[in-house]
Amino acid sequence: MTVTQASAPSRLDHKTARAKLGSVAAKLFTTLAMAGLSMSAMAQFEAPADGVYKDRIDWGVMMDLSGPASASQGIWANGFQAYMRKLNEAGGINGRKINVLAEDSRFNPAQDKINYEKLVSQTPVLAISGMGSSSSQVSLAPTIRAGKVPIVGTYTSTKPLSEPVSPLVYGGFCGYPQMAQTGVGYYTEQLKLKAPKVMVVSIESAGGAEYAQMVAAAAAKLGGTSSLVTMKITAADVTPQVLEIVAQKPDFITIYGVPNTAILTMKTMQQYGLKIPAFGISYLLAPQIYAAMGPDAGANYNVVSCFTPGGTDQAPGNREMMAAADKYNHSAIKEDINYVAGWAVGQMAAEAIAKTGAEPTRAKLIDSMNKGFSVDTKGLAAPITFTTDNHTGPVAFRMIGYDFAAKKYKPYGEFSDYLKYTK
Amino acid sequence: MFAQVLFSGLALGSIYGLVALGFAVVFKATDVFNFAQGMFVVCGAFFAVTAITLLGLPFPLAIAAIIATSAALGVVIHVLLIQPLAGRPMLSVIMLTIALSIVLRALIEILYGPQGRTLATPLPAGIFLIGGVRISQLHLIAAVVSWACMAGFGAFFKFTSVGLLMRATADNHEAALVSGVNVNVMNRLAWAIGSVLAGIGGLFLGQLQIVSTELESIGLLALPAVVIGGMQSIPGAIIGGLLVGLIEQFAASYISPKSSDILIYVLLMLILMIRPWGLFGQRELGRV
Repeated sequence: MTVTQASAPSRLDHKTARAKLGSVAAKLFTTLAMAGLSMSAMAQFEAPADGVYKDRIDWGVMMDLSGPASASQGIWANGFQAYMRKLNEAGGINGRKINVLAEDSRFNPAQDKINYEKLVSQTPVLAISGMGSSSSQVSLAPTIRAGKVPIVGTYTSTKPLSEPVSPLVYGGFCGYPQMAQTGVGYYTEQLKLKAPKVMVVSIESAGGAEYAQMVAAAAAKLGGTSSLVTMKITAADVTPQVLEIVAQKPDFITIYGVPNTAILTMKTMQQYGLKIPAFGISYLLAPQIYAAMGPDAGANYNVVSCFTPGGTDQAPGNREMMAAADKYNHSAIKEDINYVAGWAVGQMAAEAIAKTGAEPTRAKLIDSMNKGFSVDTKGLAAPITFTTDNHTGPVAFRMIGYDFAAKKYKPYGEFSDYLKYTK
Repeated sequence: MFAQVLFSGLALGSIYGLVALGFAVVFKATDVFNFAQGMFVVCGAFFAVTAITLLGLPFPLAIAAIIATSAALGVVIHVLLIQPLAGRPMLSVIMLTIALSIVLRALIEILYGPQGRTLATPLPAGIFLIGGVRISQLHLIAAVVSWACMAGFGAFFKFTSVGLLMRATADNHEAALVSGVNVNVMNRLAWAIGSVLAGIGGLFLGQLQIVSTELESIGLLALPAVVIGGMQSIPGAIIGGLLVGLIEQFAASYISPKSSDILIYVLLMLILMIRPWGLFGQRELGRV
C-alpha cells in the first residue's frame, strides 16, 4: 500500500507532501535555530561571582596540604584532583572544565578562616570540598551555615557543621556515628560480649572528643561502657597511654587520629604483650600503616571503612581509579583509603554539578542538591544517597584488615552485612 | 608504673638530648640559633628511608651513608647560606634558618610525596622484662646510641686537637683567627656535627614513628631542651633533653598529654627569667 502511494502519487498528494516538507523544514530550522541560540546562551553563561565561567567552573578544596594531617589529607586532595583531571580529559561537564583551587589549611583554624573567605569572595568558587580539620569545622560552622557557598563532600564530619541538616553541607567521608556503631557492634558480636568494655585512643582534638562520645553511646546501647585516653598528635612515645590501657583492660579499643596514632599504639601494645583487638577509624587504612606496624601488631588491627580502597577488588570503579592513579603518577598512594575517598568526592561533586544543569550558580546548586541526589561510585562504596533530610553521605560500612603474606587488603564480608549495626 | 614511665622518659629524652647537643654545638661554634634543626632531623629520617628502603643498602653501609649525607648537608648549608651572612645581625640569620626549614620541608614533600614512609631496619623491636619494667629494645638502643654519641663528641671536644680548636674558635673567633685557625673550616665542622646528630636522632624517631615531615615538631623539642640546659653548654643540652623527655612522659601519665607543653614551656620561661644562661650554661659578664 505504501509502495503504491509512493510510486504513483496524485497531484493533491504532491501539494500536501510539499506543504508537509516545508512545514518540517521550517520546524527543523526553528528547532536548530533555537538549539543554536540555546547552545550559544549556554556557552555564554557566566557567573563569575559564583566561580562559573564560559569554559570552566572553579571549585574549592580546603585541606591540610602541610602540617601533621597532610599525610592523609594531601592524598585525599590527590584523589579528588585525579578524578577531576580524568573528567576534564573527557570534556568536562556541559563543556566546562573543572578547575580545582586547593587551599592549604595547615592544621590551623585561623588559616582555614582566611582560606574560606578567599574562596567565597576573592577567588570565588561554586562550592568547596574537603574541610579536613575538625577544629576548623567547629570554628567555621556558624559562618558556613549562614553563608551561600555549599560544602560538597566534607572530609570529616562534626556536629556543629552537620547537625541539624543544612542545605549547604554534604558529607563525603564515612560518618563517625556509623563508624562507632559498626565497629562496636561488629566486635561485640565477634567477641561474643554481653557488655562491651571499650576504650577510645585518640589524639587531642575536637573530633576525637566527639568520636569518643559516639563510641560511648554505641557501647551503652549494647549495655557496655567506654573510656578515653588521649595523646598528642606528634607523640613519639605512647607508653603512658598503653599503661592506661593495661590498667583499664578493655575488651577492644578503637583508634582515632593520624597514622602515627595507630602505629605507635599498636606497636607499643605489642611490646607490652597486649593482644587486644583494635579498629581504627576509616582514615587509618593505608598499606604504609600496616607495614609500619608489622605482621604481629598489625594482625590485631582492622579498620571500619565505608570505602573500598584501591586494589581490594575488581569492581569497575576500583579498576578505573587504579588505572587513572597509574596514569597520573599516583601509584604510590593509590591503595590509601584517602585516595579513594577523594576520588569518590570528585564523583559526588561532578554529579552535583551535572544535576544543576547548563547554567550553574551557587543558589541553583544548593537548590538542586537539597532536593536529593545519588552517586554511583561503581563499587568503590555502597551507593551514596542524599535526601532533603539526610546529608550524611556514605553510611554503609565493613571491616577491612590486611593480609601481610599477600600484601593486600582483606575485607570481611560485604557492606550489606553490616547494615544491621547502624539501623 | 613510675619506673616504666621513668624509663620511657629517659629513652625519649636521650633522643631529644642528642638533637639538642647538635643544636648546642652549632650555637656554641657559630652563634647561630638554628631553627632548621628540626628539619635536619627530618632530613636524617628521609636519608635513612632512601638508603635502607629505596636503595636497599646493607644496614652498616646505610648508616655510613646517612652520616655522610647529613654531614654534607650541614657543610653545604654553612657554605652557601650561613658563611655569607657572617657579621650580619642575629635576626637575619634566625630568619634564614626559619626560611631554610620551610624550603627543606617543601623540597622533601615534593621529592618524597605527602604520605608518610615506613622505616624498617634490622634493629630489634622486642622487649626486655626487668623487675616488672618492660624495656623496649629499640628505645634502649636509641638511648644507648644517643649516650654513646654524646660521650663520643664530648671526648672529641675535650681530648682531640680538632675539638680543642673548635672550642677555641667558639670561645673567641678573633683570637682563633689571629692564632691561624681556619675559622670557616671549624664552623663547617660544627654544622656537620650538628646535622649528623640530628640525622641520627631522625633515624631513631623515624623508626619509632613514621617518617614524615612532622618529625620536625619532635625535633624542635630540642629548642626548649637546649635553652633549659644552657645554650652554650654541651652537658646542659643533654640534661635539658632528658628533662624534656621526662616531663613529657610524666605529664602525659599523671596529668594529660597537653599539660606537658605547659610544663615544658613554663619551665623554659622560668629559666629565661631567672637564669637566662640555662641550668648548666655560664653567665657572660661584660665590662662597661
